[in-house]
Parts: sequence; structure tokens; C-alpha cells
Amino acid sequence: MSTSPSRRILVGIGNAGVTVLDLLSVEYPGMTGLLAVNNDPDSLNASIVRDKIEVPEGDPGEGFRVIDDEFGRTVEGSSAVILCGGLGGETGSFLLPALAIRAKSAGLTTMACVGMPFSFEGKHKRDLAERALEKLQEICDAVVVIGNDQLSGGSPSIAAVGEAFVLSDRTLLAALLALTGMISTSGPVKITRADIHHVLGKPGAITHFGFGKAEGSNRLHEALERALKSPLLTLPGKGMALKESSMILLLLRGAKDISFAEVQAVVGKIEQIAGDNCQIKVGVHADGPLGSALELYLLASSGGTVRKPAKPSESNETGEPNSAISPISPISPVSQIGTKLPQPSRGEEISSGHSEGEKGADELFPVQTKPTSKSGKKAAATSKQMQGTLALDTYQRGRFDKSEPTIVEGEDLDIPTFLRKGIKLNPPTRK
Amino acid sequence: MANEQIFVGLEIGTTKISVIVAEARDDDQISILGVGETPSRGVRKGEIVDMETVTECVREAILDAEDKTNVEIGNVWVAITGSHLASFNNRGSLALRAERQIEPEDLEAVEVNAKEVAIPTPNTFLHTILQAYHVDGNQNVIDPLKSEGALLEADFHIVHGIKTRIHNTLRCIESLKIGIEDVVLSSLASAQVVLSQDQKNYGALMIDIGGGTTDYLVYIDGAIRHSGVLALGGDHITNDISVGLRLPIARAELLKIEEGSASDPVSSEGGFISLKNDPRFLGCDVDRVSLETIIHLRVKEIFELIRRDIESSGEGMMDLIRGVMITGGCSKLKGIAQVAEEVFDIPVELTRARNVSGATQIFEDPQYSTAIGLTKYARLVTKNIAPESMLDRFTQGLGSLFKKRSR
Repeated sequence: MSTSPSRRILVGIGNAGVTVLDLLSVEYPGMTGLLAVNNDPDSLNASIVRDKIEVPEGDPGEGFRVIDDEFGRTVEGSSAVILCGGLGGETGSFLLPALAIRAKSAGLTTMACVGMPFSFEGKHKRDLAERALEKLQEICDAVVVIGNDQLSGGSPSIAAVGEAFVLSDRTLLAALLALTGMISTSGPVKITRADIHHVLGKPGAITHFGFGKAEGSNRLHEALERALKSPLLTLPGKGMALKESSMILLLLRGAKDISFAEVQAVVGKIEQIAGDNCQIKVGVHADGPLGSALELYLLASSGGTVRKPAKPSESNETGEPNSAISPISPISPVSQIGTKLPQPSRGEEISSGHSEGEKGADELFPVQTKPTSKSGKKAAATSKQMQGTLALDTYQRGRFDKSEPTIVEGEDLDIPTFLRKGIKLNPPTRK
Repeated sequence: MANEQIFVGLEIGTTKISVIVAEARDDDQISILGVGETPSRGVRKGEIVDMETVTECVREAILDAEDKTNVEIGNVWVAITGSHLASFNNRGSLALRAERQIEPEDLEAVEVNAKEVAIPTPNTFLHTILQAYHVDGNQNVIDPLKSEGALLEADFHIVHGIKTRIHNTLRCIESLKIGIEDVVLSSLASAQVVLSQDQKNYGALMIDIGGGTTDYLVYIDGAIRHSGVLALGGDHITNDISVGLRLPIARAELLKIEEGSASDPVSSEGGFISLKNDPRFLGCDVDRVSLETIIHLRVKEIFELIRRDIESSGEGMMDLIRGVMITGGCSKLKGIAQVAEEVFDIPVELTRARNVSGATQIFEDPQYSTAIGLTKYARLVTKNIAPESMLDRFTQGLGSLFKKRSR
């Protein structure tokens, strides 16, 4: 198996994880550094991800032992590993923490992006998922948790089951993109890995995530409106969750011409919502062609316990985590191992993640700009599924430009019907 | 006149704010005393976006109504719309401990049971409307109070919406020191005066096309089976014309009213419409086929969206609808009925408030259907008897709460 040259590796684990990577490959063809890991040969064969590791069927512990070395070799040399998958199933619940330990013990920045099961999937799944999440949060530098129940707005009675799962996969994909984009921001405005760790590294915390995409002159306003509508940004009974967060990560991706004023306006708006006590960390990937859509991602968290930061004196030792950790048996209780893992100090995280991040920023999203315009429809479909919005090519919305879009069946109906159907009209003749 | 009662219906529409003052008459009818009206500002797609401006407009409309009718307005019935409103049908069930006669408390308990469903956290219940009772599997029991049984079930049509947006409307009215009797779904109000009991029993779809929203409601066997709000209306047609023909909004609106037609442009008379110069607008000639194409596509799309929504909300529901009634300001658009007939493939009728008396030019205008409907709804609810039939009984959820608050 060829080792990907890219500096961060996205690992999709289990059926959900592989589905998300497939969606990603469709929307960002050419993106490298993807790895699919599953014990379901059918799902793996059907996947379009190039690099795959097949876990033997049966006991996941036994399976992990078989793939341990191969996985280790694959992630070797990368700067960060982002694991993605659904918790609750036997595969994901076991393999995610196990692979996280493996990556962490190799001294890599390890992050995870996971979906929690719907409550209708049963208590057994729920318990399994919670145990796995607990372990993941102990091990990883950052964990984004997408609560499927919350995602469906607490109304599974209304949403169709199939739709709910599609929405869940789409959201997981967007969260993965957000995280990937955030670790690779560079330039004068950036999000450091320490910031990500600060926001997403708290065990037991609830992740708040919003995503919006828009085009045209009013793109920033619209993208933010859409992002703020995410059900994952509300806390039951408390309203807007951003008020409860001490730090918000904001990532903007889009055309070269994202202006200072635009960024300032969006930060100002979020400040208004979140209050003065909240720090906003901004990352900008502004290298797309002019006119490409603007994507806006918000990540924050509330609750959770702050992990004891490593003492400054320890920071030197943690430079070689490999030496501190003996090869891990996946069968042994993961939580014990997790707690023993040295926590790299923040300063170190910055320095190591940084230089690599800056260099690798462009490689991380090698094709991030072109597909946005080429496969605009597909990308737009993502945002539609996620937030009930659809960013069509720059069409005129006329007087509805600044109003809340009317989205039905995935179409922005404020755009004149004849435009959406591509019907030519005779222009009026001036006298 | 004995038993005389005054009801005031207030509709904060996207185009205009109308206040209808009506009098209840002995024969169950209502008689319209007058209407107060102002053009609406600060309302988009049926929802308030600029509280201060809207409050001022509502004040003007209320004063206008008071002037015209000599009635001092203290309490109003308010219509509510907006794309945030959603609905679904749900069955509540109540197992009685032993076989016995059903009591009024049981009817309340079964309604509470039906509302025990998860709606999104920011939402609140607006209406819980009874569809039918079933006793021990006996379908459609008209009056369960007289029957005996061990299992009482009831089907409800439940309407819910975002609490804060509903509160916005209420706050705006309360700030004028006007009491709120109840909040009523716009389409439910319109249906009271637009549909006859026969139509409700026979199966009817009522579509109220306004400026900012299109509200619709399905009655089958005398009960509401489906309701919906599309944030699309006449404003969208105007905007489409403005974008497509590069005209200022005001010009586009005028052109829509004077020359607009929703008919299929295939049968267009063709030619050009000459728009004259005015100080702020350079005249031009507009291709009639283009104008009709723009309108036709939009109107057809609105009807198709409604059709698909009804089809997806209940299998076979569309087959049980025998007629479409179209009302609202936008129903005055030429050719709209033919487009609806094409889409729904059942008889379509343009309609307006009926079974009311008073100033005829008011209730004959379809743009007042909702406001007039509010007063009829008020009449039916306050009369405290089963209005029209048992199946039409409205049970208040949120509404009665506000009633207490506003007094």
C-alpha cells in the first residue's frame, strides 16, 4: 500500500466513516491522505477511497491486532491523524479508540470526529458509544461530537429515518472538513492547534457546530445566517449555545477576495451573539478563484472538564511520547492506557503543528478551490442537506437578497423560477 | 339585537395590515361593520422583521378601523403565518380502567396524550385540532360522551411553530395596549369563511395566496387533515418580473396587476406592452410572452410544491380532495385558476368570504378572507357550542394561554 505524501491523514472507520470519506472524495476529487478502515469487505470494496485497510471480520480486538502494524506504517510521517466514524456499533466503538491510541503513541496530533447514535437505536448502542467517547476524549487532542438526536432537532417523529442518517453523514463530513481546514490555516490570521485543543479537548464537553455556504455579494451574511441555524448550535432550554462557550473557532474558506471588512463584520456578529467574554479565533483559507462560494464553519463547546494541562517542566519529556509508551494491546482497557498518555503541552503543540501546518496548508486542501466551482451543485447539496440551504451559482435574488431564504426541497425559491429552469426571455426594448 | 357581540380580526400581512370589525348576529352569521387598513412595512414573508415599524402600522390600521366603525377596539383575534409553522397528525389514546361511559375529562386526557410528541425545542404548540374520535376501535364516533368503552382514541391535527416568532407578533400588539383573544393559523381562519361545510365534508383544498406567503389547508370528511405554509407569494412574482425584465419593483408590481397573467404563454396573444416614461423611469416595451412565462412558471411551481407536499404527507390524500378553493390577494391574478386546474386536475374555484353580511365590497375582495375568517372563527369558538359539527371543534393549546396573559 502506498503511503500518502500528505501531511495529515483522514481515517474513516466503520461503515459511517467510510461513507463520509466517499462523500468527501466525490466532492473534493483529488484530495489525498484518505484511509478507509472497515471490517465489512463489501463496504470497503464499494468505497472509492484509494487506500484501504481491511480488518478481518469477527472480534474487533483480534482484528485490530492484525492491522495494527499496517495502520502504524500508513500514518507514519504525517503530522496529524483525524479519525472519523460513528460510535455505537461494535466496529467503530472499538476501533476508533484503539487507532487513536496507536496514532497518539506514535507522537502524532490525533483528533476525532464522531457521530453519536440516535436514541431510537437503543440503549446498548448508546452505552457503548458513550464509553468509547469517554476514551476518545481522554486520548485525543480534540474530539468533535455530532449528536444525531440533537441534529434531527429532537423531532424524530417527523423526520424520515433514511433522511436522518443522510443528514448525520453529511454533518459528519462538514465537521471533518472544518477540523481539517482548521488545523491547516496559515498566514496572519490562523487557528493554532492549541486553540483547537482548548475548545475540543475537554472530556465530557458538548460540541457545537454550524456550517453555512453562500455566494454573491451578500455571501458572508447568508453563510453566517445558515450556519447559525444549525440545531447543533442550540442548547435545549438555553437557546444559543455560543453564549456558553469561552472560545469559538471560526473558519472561512473561499475566494481570494474575502475582504478584511467581511471578516470583521462576521466576527462582530458572532461577538454580539456570544458576548464579550468569548474569544473568537479566526482562520481564513482565501485561495479560491474569484466568485467561488464562501464556506463558513463554527466550532465551539460547552460544559466538560478541563484536562490538567501538562506542567511546563514536563514539556521537554513529552517531546518523545514514543519512548514513554509501550506497544499497546488493543484488548487492554483503553481508558487506563489513555490516562497514562502524556499530554503534550500547549506550547509544544503550537510549535510542532505550526511549521508543518504552514508548509502543508496548501497540500492539505490540494483541490479545495476548483471543485467548489466545478462541482458546485454537489457541494451545494451538502449545505442544503445540512442547513436547509442551497447555494446556487450567483443568481439574482432581487429584493429577497437580504431576507431569510425560502428553501423547499433543496431549492432556493427566492431565485426566480425562470432562472432556475434556465429559460431565456426577451429583454425589454428601451425607447 | 340580543346577544350582540363584536369581534375584531387582525391580520398582519406582508402587503397590508387589515383590521376587520364584525358583529355576531343571532343566526350564527357575522356582519361586517368595517375595515381598517394600512400598507404593511417591516413584514417579510409573513413574519415581522422590523418591530417598531410594524407596531406603528398596526396602530394606524386599528385607528382607521375605529374611525370607520365607531367601535373602540380592546381585544383582537390575530392571524399568524410564516414558514416556521409546521404540522402533523397524531393519535392520542387513553385506556379506561374499566368499561364505562366516557367523561369530558377523558376527552381532555386523550388530547394531552396526543400532544406528547417531540417537537423541536424552540417550538410551541399553536393548535391541536380534533379530527375524529374512536371508541374501542369503532372509527369516527361523532359524540364519544354518550358511548361506553374501554379504549378512547382520538386523531388530532397538530400545528406548531417557533415560540419567539409567534411572540414577536404578540409583543407588537400588546405594546399598543390591545388585548389578544387568541392566535389563529391564517389558513384556519380563512377556511372558516371560504369553505362551506359541504366542501369540508366532501374533501377540499383551500389555498390562500397572499403577498409574502401561501397558506393552505386540506379538509377531508369534515376534518383538517393537512396544513402548510409556503413562504412564497405575490411578492415573488413581482420580484421575478423585476429581475427578468429589469424593471424597478414598483413598476414590476404595476405591470403584474395591470397586464399580468398566469396562463400558459403558449396561448398568449403576444406582442409588446408599452411602459411609459416617468420622471424616475425610462420607458420601454416589454415582450408579453416573456412576462407571462415568468408568472406562469412561478405560479405553477407554487401549486406543484403544494401538491407534492400533500402527496408526501398522506398516501392517497390527493385522491380524496374533490375541489380546490383559491383565495387571497394574489388570487386576483388572471389565469391563476387554469394553472391550478392543470396541476391538481380537479375543479378549481376562485373564492372569497361567504356567509357573511355587511359592507359587500369588503367581503367580496379575496384579500380580506383571513381577517374576516378570524371574526367567524371567534364567533364559533366563543359561542361555546360545537361549531358547525362536532368534528370542527377547536381545542386551544397555546391560544388560551395567551388569552390569560393578555388580560
